[in-house]
Order: sequence, then structure tokens, then C-alpha cells
Amino acid sequence: MFELFSNLALGFGVALTPINLLLCLIGALVGTLVGVLPGIGTIATVAMLLPITFGLPPVGALIMLAGIYYGAQYGGSTTSILVNIPGEASSVVTTLDGFQMAKQGRAGPALAIAAIGSFFAGCVATVLIAVLGAPLTKLALAFGPAEYFSLMVLGLIFAVVLAKGSILKAIAMIVFGLLLSMVGSDIETGASRMAFNIPELADGLGFATVAMGVFGFAEIIRNLDVGAEMDRELVQEKVTGLMPTRKDLIDSAPAIVRGTILGSILGILPGGGAVIASFAAYTFEKKIAKDPSRFGRGAIEGVAAPESANNAAAQTSFIPLLTLGIPPNAVMALMVGAMTIHGIVPGPQVMQKQPELVWGMIASMWIGNLMLLVINLPLVGIWVRLLRVPYRLLFPSIVIFCAIGIYSLNNAPVDVVLAGAFGLLGYWLIKHDFEPAPLLLGMVLGPLMEENLRRALLISRGDVTVFVTRPLSGALLAVAAFLLVLAVLPSLRKKRDEVFVESET
Amino acid sequence: MSDTPSHGPVKSIMPKWVRGPQDFFGGIALMAIAAFALWASSDLQGMHGFSFGAGTAPRMFAGLLLGLGFAIAIVGLVTEGPELATYAWRGPLFISLSILSFAITVRPLGLVISAFASFMISSFGAVDIRWKETIIVGICLTIGCSLLFPYALGLPLQLFPRFLVQ
Repeated sequence: MFELFSNLALGFGVALTPINLLLCLIGALVGTLVGVLPGIGTIATVAMLLPITFGLPPVGALIMLAGIYYGAQYGGSTTSILVNIPGEASSVVTTLDGFQMAKQGRAGPALAIAAIGSFFAGCVATVLIAVLGAPLTKLALAFGPAEYFSLMVLGLIFAVVLAKGSILKAIAMIVFGLLLSMVGSDIETGASRMAFNIPELADGLGFATVAMGVFGFAEIIRNLDVGAEMDRELVQEKVTGLMPTRKDLIDSAPAIVRGTILGSILGILPGGGAVIASFAAYTFEKKIAKDPSRFGRGAIEGVAAPESANNAAAQTSFIPLLTLGIPPNAVMALMVGAMTIHGIVPGPQVMQKQPELVWGMIASMWIGNLMLLVINLPLVGIWVRLLRVPYRLLFPSIVIFCAIGIYSLNNAPVDVVLAGAFGLLGYWLIKHDFEPAPLLLGMVLGPLMEENLRRALLISRGDVTVFVTRPLSGALLAVAAFLLVLAVLPSLRKKRDEVFVESET
Repeated sequence: MSDTPSHGPVKSIMPKWVRGPQDFFGGIALMAIAAFALWASSDLQGMHGFSFGAGTAPRMFAGLLLGLGFAIAIVGLVTEGPELATYAWRGPLFISLSILSFAITVRPLGLVISAFASFMISSFGAVDIRWKETIIVGICLTIGCSLLFPYALGLPLQLFPRFLVQ
């Protein structure tokens, strides 16, 4: 317990230096900006801004990237409520009740509750990371290659079960991602694999390149063919009366707590993340509500729960990364990229060898959330004005920014072309109803999975049963199998589809 | 693996026995990708004894993808599913051209010219392009990028054409 406080004190010592405070603020603001702008998501932004962090010290770089990540969750909710356009996938469900509240002239309270809920969730998640960090690091030491492999299988299965649409297609996307991750040099022999003698491919496909293509360019291309002018039904009345009433607070408090708990759990699990957390929290609120028909007509719980959940999940997803070295989602994979650039290998060693880095980042998350709470509400007016920028001017700017971003990662024009190709691939995937998110997760985990699979088999002298006979590994695989069976069972599947259908209309 | 799979026939009349064309052709395309990967990794060493060779994992994943693609195609064949979506040509074409032009020109011509040119090309992707406005924004953005990336962020980007600098 004492250790916890000394760790947090160390963290705040690092995070409260002026330069880190400034970076935290910049990250949070950029994140909010990105969250507000539809058509460019968190993944593409973090990928785009990676080069910006090259010149920064490692702690500062991570603080800023983390700020972008949770800032985007905030920004996404603002547009959901005011304009009925989710700026981020994780705030899609917020539009359902948030926009209705805005129409009834209660935009202020909706925004305030979203911010308060997010802040509360952020506080809880910060404490949770601090509390769970150390014990999980110890657990990580008990993990051998077989356990790591099984844990990643579990993570991928989670991603499949929680993805919407066909399970078969989600699995196919994961395997496709695994296959893409094989391009480059073999870790053990150094043999060039599927690189076709292209020197830029010798190191493998850059994760940021693929992410930018599939999430940045593909998204733009798709938005263009939906019809350039999106429906931007702005709430014209001025946002007045930010303060929620006492009744609002009483109604939303339990929802915030439930959302936070659900989000924290889903964030920790590999394959989960902010998007799923907000969907799950909304559905859960609706299920337990006394009068479910209120939802979709401006129920404040429908804003409070998902907003708390997505923020909690955004932060707790740092736990597996920092303790086990496994990135649970695509944004965390980009954080791995940022860490590797600075020579940091994420995993249990980081906590012991560079405590100021880890705790500094954790403390900065809390500070960042506080900043967002303070700056977000007064800035609402500016964010709304930004939405009036027509898409025909916005998208070429995003294209240029992405192109420069990718180019400056390695100073390689080939990377830009590759990202463009993956943009077209992403467009094709969208057209065939394949989800790109599992593909990215597969690509992230591919090299780690291969390495641990090889090691495990080498240690067991080729005995495949090692994955089932080692208790921890066996348990993880059993959970994975159980989940998969549950997901394909017809009754549950119907329910799962319902959740997504409901949340999307 | 950077090549994009063919877009499939868009408006051709589907044979009646394909009930879910979207899944059917999606599955086929995945199978093609997997077959390509199998071919590309065929020269790599396989298992020796109980340890993996360089080619084991790629072939394993490619084989898996082949099977999954086949399953998806079968699902598309026997169950009712959505038609093939229509592809717009304008967005993909101009965005690709813009990206390509950036990649080709950024080294020899420098950031200023290539960023502005790519901005203009990509803005053709929208139907409602307005010249004056686009040019003004393009100039502002180019200036902004030229200040932000090389100066504020200290990235080694060349601003002007090589032959002018030397």
C-alpha cells in the first residue's frame, strides 16, 4: 500500500513538470480536436502524429500520445450530443440519447454529465492502473511462452466475439492480419519472407502505414462516396445552462458507476476497448432500467453510462500493455511503436527499470482528465464552429497530413504508396463488410504469437500438448474455447446481433 | 502483399446460384490472397525436427486463410446475402493519384510543391469542388505544413526542389 503511494508520488513528480504539463495539454487538445472532426479516427491520428513525438523525451512522447487517445473520447461525445454525428466510433451510442437531450434544449446538462462521467471514470481507471500494475507485473513473471501464446489467442477470440457481424469473417480478418505481419525478416534466421526484394519491406510492413491506410485513407474514400455533404443538423439554440439539475445528478450517478466498472473490465481484456465498452454499457443500462422506453428519447443514463465506459476502457487498456507487454488494441499497438522508437520494450521490465516513465504517464492521465473537464465545456462553442468546415476542404487536408506523417516516419516514399494501397484494400474490405479492426489486431499480435509459439514448442521439444497441459495456459485456452462456443450458439448470437442493430439505428 | 485484390464484377448479372455475392466474392478474394502468400513463401525453409523454419508460420497462416476464405465463399453461395456494393470511381481515383504524386515528388521537388499539388489533386475527389476556396486553403495548408514539420517538429524534410537549393 505504501509502495502504491510512493509510486504515485513519483508519477506526479514527473507529470507536474511544466514541459510535461504542456505536452499533456497539447495532447488532450489535439485529441479533442480529432474527436470532434468526423472522418478521422483515433487510430489514424495517433499514427499520423507519431513522427511529432520523435523529438520529444520518451516520457513526454507517451504523455502526449496518451492525451490524444483519451482526449478523442471526450471530443467524440461533444459532436454526438450537439450534431448527432459521432466523431469517434466509441461515441456512436451517445448520439441516441445525447442528441435527443440537445433537441429538448438540454445540451448543456448532457455535455456536463458526459464530462463528469468521463472524469470520474478516468479517476477510477487511473487508480486501477496504479493498483493492478504491480501485482500483474509479478504475474507476468510466471508467464512462459506457452502462456503468452494462449493469452494472445484469448485476446483474439475476444476481438472476434465482440466484433459485429459474421464471426467467420472476423476470424478471417484476424488471420489475414497475422499473415500480413509475417512479411519481412524472420526473427530467428533473418530470412527474408514475402518481401520480394523490396528493401523497404525487409523490416516488415509498418504498422502505422497499414493503420493509416486502412483507417485513414479508406475512411476518406468511403466518406466521399457516401455523398460529400453529410447531414449536419446543428442544434441551433445556444448552449445555455451547463449545470445539470440535482435530479440529473442523482439519476446519472449510478449509471456512471456501472459504466465505469464495465468499461474498466472490458478495457483490461485484450481485444476489448473503448468502442465495445460503450456499446455494452448502453445495452446494460437499457436492460436494467425500470422503464426502457425512455432510452432513445433523451434519458440521461444513456449518455452517462457509455461515456464513462469508453473513457474507463481507454485508460485501463494500458494495463496489459504496461504489465504484460501485449497491446490489447490498435491504438496501444501504436504506443508500442512509439516506445520502440525511444528504445523502450514494453512489458514487465519497464515497470521495474523505468518507473518514472510508467508512473509519470499514469499520473498524467489523471491530470489530463482534469484539464479536459475544465477546458472542454468552455470550448464547446469553438468545437461546434469547427464542424462547419465543409468536408470538401477537410479531406484533402487530412490526406496531406497523413501523407507527410507516413513519409516522415522513415523518410521512405514507398511507405506512402503502401499506405495508399492499403487504403484501397480497406475500401474494398468495407464494401465486402469485412471489419478492419480485427485485421489490425492480428497484425499487431502476429510477430509476438509466432515468437512465443516457436519458443514454447522448442522448450517442449515439439510437444503440442504443452499448451493444454500447463495449467495457466490450459485455463486461458479453455476460456477462449468457451467464448467461441458461446458466440456461435444461435440463441446468444441473435442477442448479440440485436445489441448492434439497436445501437446503430 | 500491397496489391489490392480485384474489385470483382460490379454490375454484371450474378449467376442465380450465388445467393450472397458479397460474401462469395469476398471469400474468393481472400482465397486468392492466401494462395498468393503460399506461393510467395514456398521458397522458405519449413520445419526441421521440432523447430520452426522461416516458412512454417507464414504457410500456416496462409493455409488457415485459404480455409476461411473457402468457408466464407461457401456461406455466400448457400445463404441469402447482400448484393455486391457499387464502387465509386472518383474518390478512390483522385485520392490514389494524390498519394502517388506525393510519394513521387516529395524527394526531388520538396515538400512545398508536392504538398500543394497533392492537395489540389485530392480535392478533385469531391463533387462540389470550388476553385477559389480550394486554392486558398491549399496555400494556407502548405504554408502551415512547411512551418510545422521541418521547423516546429525538426523533421528532416526538404522544402524546396533540389535543383534550386544546390
